[in-house]
Amino acid sequence: MLSVFVFSSSVCQVTISGRVTDGQGEPVPGTNVFLKDTYDGASSLGDGSFEFITTAVGKADLIAKFIGYRDFVQPVLLDAQRIVVEIRLEETISELKAVTITAGAFTANDASRRTIFKAADIASTAGATADIAGALNTLPGTQKVGESGRLFVRGGDSNEARTFIDGMVVLDAYNTTAPNTPSRGRFLPFMFKGTSFSTGGYSAEYGQALSSALVLDSKDKAESTRTDIGILSVGGDVAHTQAWDRGSVAGKIQYTNIRPYFGLINQEIDWKTPPESTEAVGVFRQQVGKDGLFKFYGNFNHSNFSLYHHDINDNGVKQLYDLTNNYRYLNGSYISSINEKWSVHGGLSYSYIQNNTQIEFDNILESEKGIHAKTVFEGSLSVRVELKTGIEVMQRNYAKSIYFNADSTYSHWFNELIAAGFAEVYIYASNKFVVRIGTRLEYCNLTGKAGVDPRGSLAYKTGATSQVSFAYGKFRQSAKHNLVSINQALDAEKADHLILNYQRVENNRTFRVETYYKRYEDLVKYENGNPLLLTNTGKGFARGVELFWRDNHSIKNVDYWFSYSFLDTKREYLDFPHRATPAFATAHNLSFVYKHFVPSIRSQVGFTYSYTTGRPFNDPNTASFNKGKTPYYADLSVNVAYLPRQFLILYVSCTNVLGRDNIFGYEYSTTTDGTGAYRRRAIRQAAPRFLFLGIFITLSKDKSVNQLPSL
Amino acid sequence: MKKVNIISILSATLLLVAHSLLATDIQYIEAMQKNIHVVYTAQSMAELQEAVNALQRIGAAEKNKWEPHYYASFGYIMMASREQDGAKKDSYLDQAMAGIEKAKTINGNDSEVVALEGFVQMMRITVDPGTRGPQYSGLAMQTFGKASAMNPDNPRALVLKAQMQFGTSKFFGSPATDACETLDLAVTKFEASASTNPLAPQWGREMATALQHECN
Repeated sequence: MLSVFVFSSSVCQVTISGRVTDGQGEPVPGTNVFLKDTYDGASSLGDGSFEFITTAVGKADLIAKFIGYRDFVQPVLLDAQRIVVEIRLEETISELKAVTITAGAFTANDASRRTIFKAADIASTAGATADIAGALNTLPGTQKVGESGRLFVRGGDSNEARTFIDGMVVLDAYNTTAPNTPSRGRFLPFMFKGTSFSTGGYSAEYGQALSSALVLDSKDKAESTRTDIGILSVGGDVAHTQAWDRGSVAGKIQYTNIRPYFGLINQEIDWKTPPESTEAVGVFRQQVGKDGLFKFYGNFNHSNFSLYHHDINDNGVKQLYDLTNNYRYLNGSYISSINEKWSVHGGLSYSYIQNNTQIEFDNILESEKGIHAKTVFEGSLSVRVELKTGIEVMQRNYAKSIYFNADSTYSHWFNELIAAGFAEVYIYASNKFVVRIGTRLEYCNLTGKAGVDPRGSLAYKTGATSQVSFAYGKFRQSAKHNLVSINQALDAEKADHLILNYQRVENNRTFRVETYYKRYEDLVKYENGNPLLLTNTGKGFARGVELFWRDNHSIKNVDYWFSYSFLDTKREYLDFPHRATPAFATAHNLSFVYKHFVPSIRSQVGFTYSYTTGRPFNDPNTASFNKGKTPYYADLSVNVAYLPRQFLILYVSCTNVLGRDNIFGYEYSTTTDGTGAYRRRAIRQAAPRFLFLGIFITLSKDKSVNQLPSL
Repeated sequence: MKKVNIISILSATLLLVAHSLLATDIQYIEAMQKNIHVVYTAQSMAELQEAVNALQRIGAAEKNKWEPHYYASFGYIMMASREQDGAKKDSYLDQAMAGIEKAKTINGNDSEVVALEGFVQMMRITVDPGTRGPQYSGLAMQTFGKASAMNPDNPRALVLKAQMQFGTSKFFGSPATDACETLDLAVTKFEASASTNPLAPQWGREMATALQHECN
């Protein structure tokens, strides 16, 4: 009986053979070819050929699998002694191989290797002192505006660059500072796993941003349980992360008081109370169900300072300026897949900013509340077509009251509601060629108008390591709150972007060149110079060429990059009597960032050199507008991070070590002096240098982690 | 008579079922042992890929067995360790993680599977030590700790942990006391280890022996 069985089964043996090739007809070695639900199969050889024997009978499914290709399935009828199957594998559009749209975009993601700017770079770039905007200012497309500290992108004002966290808009992403002193971003870089900084041509998903979208993705993986303590020359902080199997919670409390530092180093500013700030940050992440993830992020800040503003004509006349700021930002988001092809991302964010300013006897109370709700669906329509579509609502309530000497009041306010929808398709012709076409529809309750903004971009791989990318788009953004509150009927300001980019990445060396043209329309303008008579009649343009080179390959333990931006921009807006280059725009911008890790002393030493040509300023003593030019700006900053123990980091950084007296512009007196001239005062750095010292201690169960990535 | 007949038929059927069950088990174990041997000893990428493919075929056919996925993942880690290109290394480690997730759903959170997950995290560091080191080293150490908590007798969780500790002590130029302590414990556990499962993981002894030289 048994022998018959064996005999019969040997009769039924079938040999399956063939060859595995890809779309180009090239062999694919190592492919796993097998019959479904059996052990029978083989791996293809160097020439793509395979052969195996099976004892299965009847109908079966022949499957072929290999990384980077779609699974191949073919039903076979095992009725002959020998079956030959030619297998042609189709490439998957894989993140690893597919071309990405690079026009206008600097994507940083530590998980992926194909990034030219890493999230960790924010912490380790000298001169940035762990400030996101500070680090991004070393990239092409940005203009260094020393007295502001904010992002200025391609001839755009700082409010044209918007920040988004997990897709949700942030109102006022910067700390409040005294006039003409640089502010820092409110968000700590170590909270984010990736940043995508776009200098134009971005996705239809992002609205209400005229020049730039900075998209920060908060971390979603549970980390290790640890406590971090920072002792800083300007304060201190304590952070704790508690991780469990599928989630984590982290909190950080930071107190900064710059008074002791200012006591040591002479300041240009006559502080009454130097800036003091208390900040609490909380993050909660929990995986839900099979692949759902809930994230919550909260930021609370209270800061205050006061100073004396001295009269330009008579330094003895001084005016008190006192500001207290309260800030809250809450962001909750949920992401989950609906099925194998579709996922949904929902988010809700709330911003609240309150400024209480006392100027001598006048009191200004200003508050802005924003709510942003958004739902985005993402999925594939076919193997090569992906769709991203969503709807969002942005509500913004602004109110400002001025109490003149406590006896008369002036108030203005607005409640703005923007409803928007967008849809965008990615069409992958192959791993070499992608087209992104999208459109955005926006409705604003104040103007009662709806607008359509088409956007499109494409990227094509010209070689194994090089690619060209092109982007076009229309963008709109409501005017600044102080303008809308005066005239609620103001239309959104608009811009068109046109970008062409070439990029080459090889062996951790990146070369990038980009050129663009940007046209501004409907900018808010003071009619006849009257700041209470606002119209959308302003116009402008910006054009430029930018270069970027980064190399962390050629010299061992060395990583450096070089950025250059040329900018030509003119605009007619606000009080401009005619088209002129705005004061924040510089024709030539240059940055050189160098980082050197020295293993023998376990230290990272870095420096950043920045240079910009002079900035325009307006001299009321001359007939022409904005024709003055400040001296050039230059700064050499250095930093050293030293790890004596694995849980301890000592950090020193100093800006402007050469002590150059940079002048950002001039303030002119509003009244003439005895000689009939308007006197001026230079806007300078508060102190030539800023020295920062920090000791960072990490306590964890296994003592193996430190705060290096968050520095 | 009739009764006896029924019983004999019944028992014969049972025997046959048992026999065929045993036969498939033997077939499974034999096929596994052959490929496990290859992933332990393979000298080339092609050999590893072939063994991984075979293990994945077994895994696809044997829906309730965690070992094929475990060893396929181990094979991918070995492939990652031989790969120079960072992007490819990451894609092998992604494959390894996919296998680990499958093994987890079949076998729950087994200490061996968790230790292997830590191995993947450790390998992630080698792609870009400067950027990934600080993050993944903490994560890997935590995962090894978790594996040890689930089964204090798992020598692989310990030897991998010792490897990480050697790395850090070397970087900081500090004495490898902690690493050697962990290693000693790992060696004791290796000596005491015994499993009734013929497919139980066996690797790690050589790693321990190699590391022991650093302690002497």
